[in-house]
Amino acid sequence: MDKLLLDRIMSQVTKPVRYMGNEYNMVEKNSNEVSIRFAFAFPDVYEVGMSHLGMKILYHWLNERVDTYCERVFAPWVDMEEKMRESEIPLFSLETKTPIAEFDIVGFTLQYELSYTNILNMLDLAGIPLLAEQRTKEHPFVIVGGPCAYNSEPIADFVDLVTLGEGEELISELLDEYKKWKGSGESRRAFLERAAQIPGIYVPSFYDVTYLEDGRVESVKPNTNVAKEQVAKRIVHDMDQVYFPDRIIVPFMDIVHDRIMLELFRGCTRGCRFCQAGMIYRPVRERSQERLLEMAEKLVKSTGYEEVSLSSLSSSDYSSLEDLVKQLMKRFEEKRVALSLPSLRLDSFDKEYIQEMQKVRKTGLTFAPEAGSQRLRDVINKGVTQEDLVSAVSDAFESGWNSVKLYFMIGLPTETQEDLQGIADLTKEVAQCYYRADRAKRQKGLKITVSTSSFVPKPFTPFQWVPQDAMEQLRKKQEFLKRALRMKNVNYNWHDPETSLLEAAFALGDRRLGRVLLSAWKKGAKFDGWSEQFNMKAWMEAFEENNLQPEFYAHRKREKDEVLPWDHIDVGVTKAFLWHEWQKALKGETTPDCRIDCSGCGIRRLGEGLC
Amino acid sequence: MRIILKYTRGERVKYISHLDLMRTMQRAVRRADIPIAYSQGFNPHPIMAFASALAVGITSEGEYMDIVLSVPMSLPVLKEKLNHALPKGIAILDVMEIDKKAPSLMSLIERADYKVTAMGIDWNRALTAYGEAPEILVEKQGKRRVTTIDLKDSIYSIGVDQENQETLHLSMKIGSKGSLKPEFVVETLLKLSGQDTDQWEGLGIPASIHRTGLYYRINGEWVTPLFRKKD
Repeated sequence: MDKLLLDRIMSQVTKPVRYMGNEYNMVEKNSNEVSIRFAFAFPDVYEVGMSHLGMKILYHWLNERVDTYCERVFAPWVDMEEKMRESEIPLFSLETKTPIAEFDIVGFTLQYELSYTNILNMLDLAGIPLLAEQRTKEHPFVIVGGPCAYNSEPIADFVDLVTLGEGEELISELLDEYKKWKGSGESRRAFLERAAQIPGIYVPSFYDVTYLEDGRVESVKPNTNVAKEQVAKRIVHDMDQVYFPDRIIVPFMDIVHDRIMLELFRGCTRGCRFCQAGMIYRPVRERSQERLLEMAEKLVKSTGYEEVSLSSLSSSDYSSLEDLVKQLMKRFEEKRVALSLPSLRLDSFDKEYIQEMQKVRKTGLTFAPEAGSQRLRDVINKGVTQEDLVSAVSDAFESGWNSVKLYFMIGLPTETQEDLQGIADLTKEVAQCYYRADRAKRQKGLKITVSTSSFVPKPFTPFQWVPQDAMEQLRKKQEFLKRALRMKNVNYNWHDPETSLLEAAFALGDRRLGRVLLSAWKKGAKFDGWSEQFNMKAWMEAFEENNLQPEFYAHRKREKDEVLPWDHIDVGVTKAFLWHEWQKALKGETTPDCRIDCSGCGIRRLGEGLC
Repeated sequence: MRIILKYTRGERVKYISHLDLMRTMQRAVRRADIPIAYSQGFNPHPIMAFASALAVGITSEGEYMDIVLSVPMSLPVLKEKLNHALPKGIAILDVMEIDKKAPSLMSLIERADYKVTAMGIDWNRALTAYGEAPEILVEKQGKRRVTTIDLKDSIYSIGVDQENQETLHLSMKIGSKGSLKPEFVVETLLKLSGQDTDQWEGLGIPASIHRTGLYYRINGEWVTPLFRKKD
């Protein structure tokens, strides 16, 4: 790596600190003294990737191994990429500025479908062949993990193996196996065969996919004995024992989530039917209060961070939340560490402890009713009522909050005009709560932000059979809401549904989309999640050139007997359970929180003593 | 207790912005458990002020910051603890207690010295052109309008390093009224002496800018913020 050249380039681009590294708590090792060099790749820019909790955990976890040096790499922004290509500087790691192609393993995290072109782009910038079948022993193994990995079919052509489920134990076993393989002189395929035997590892090239005449998948079958018919995800059993770093990197730069994230628990018991995370991260496993307090103390000490966020899918469901918050406040009030609770459920909103939190810092409050009518909320199994919302916002207003965000989705199954009107009505009701609130207690300047996102059906949810609304339909709904929400103090946020169509196509897609992805990337598609970079034309051309349509994946209603491209992956929750939930949704029937009443989702099959 | 700290900013971390630096210092102070005082009001922040913002890409061997402690602390201990808590590339060189009522560093500092090292530039030619010109008018972008000023008014001294022909020493006026950037000065000199600036703009040629000191005058004599320190 020509350091002088790199330096000159960095001084010509925006935010060169993205490529600098050298942060406090960055791990420095002698790369000559390790057996495995692992590049953790986040397919977006530094400030987005550094906000990701999973990366922080795995980075420090892998570096605990004496035989391994894990370094980070992020997607260079477009200006940096241009200069790098001009000067022939390959994609490099942040810690040592080593070209990525020199690593043993490059691991990408699949956080959202619209990041896939960035993966191809990074591989290309690194000089690693994009297609897995073209890689030789000279090249690193390219592996993926993360939420979208449960349906990794659309990028199957480009990855050597997929890690399913929680990475902590899985990655250790994989690296142990890798070390053995490295010393053996065996072929690349031999490593994949070894890896395939580790529970939780899925090797796409060990499966053949056949299609029916009408384009639906006929079957996904192993083409070798080593591969299992169904690959089950890995689950960490003991959240108190599992690794969590004592120290995490403190970025210099202002990043999206610049704080300590304390993971309270994994999984969720609410069973909202649109939510993939709620299904794929089951079962619920909590960390004990003692462990959380210990983690918080150590992290505050080793980072100097001013804010701790209590993070999980539904933080207010943590069993001793109030007590935990009180304890945290006691320990950190003097140190002036603020606490924030990102996701609060309306039906467990407790005014008193929220007031407690306010003492140190006040952040805006966000609520997600998701649907405008009780009927539709029942369909999606979001058991929150209007009374819950009214009570929560009234308490909030009287506690001095004047800014509230309301999140909804449009395009949900069985949605009618009335449901959309319900969004406007709920918003009006929230405003009314403000005006009804005690003038003496409330703060001036009410601000309500209503945000609607377009529903995208996801695999492994009860709605995986549901067709997404056509773009025109979504646009009409947004137009309606724009008019209906024209109220004083209300701001309405919406996004053009083009990206939602693409997201749905890739979420529900099969292996053939790999060709579309490659074509789109060749046409310059990248940073698709950034509105100013998104290039719909390139995508539409890419689909056409490959004789495929995004509508086939996104807008098609699926039937019970259809083989889904991800049926060979086992997340615990069974397909039968999901179908049953879908039928209940159509009847508007709710399913209770499984802490109250087990609904037999199937997760127990994956291990003793879970749940 | 009010304290001035002198610190360096090295190659390793030179791409951080001034805001990044402020944040870094705040967090280091927290890691080191230094009892810094906080401001009053709705959004309390640690009482920390800086002499001058250092632009992205520039290193320095002499920056200053000013903090107030809520509880007195031994200075050598403070220095050691803070150094231990800082990322490599930023180091506290010296600390000194000052009077609580002393004026802010920013209001005092009048002069910044730089060393500019670049390959392929004839500094002597640039200096000759500089010397020959009675005045050098340049446009300075202010908040609301553009003003025309004489660049020479902003320069206290300028000269080539005696041992290394590739290094230019530049001593410039800086102050709360705004200052010219060292890169801008160099660019102007190159243009003046007919040297290729295409490469220079955005530091296209291998070049480094290093701040060697910050100064102000007391009774006509140039001093640094730590001048009162007794060794």
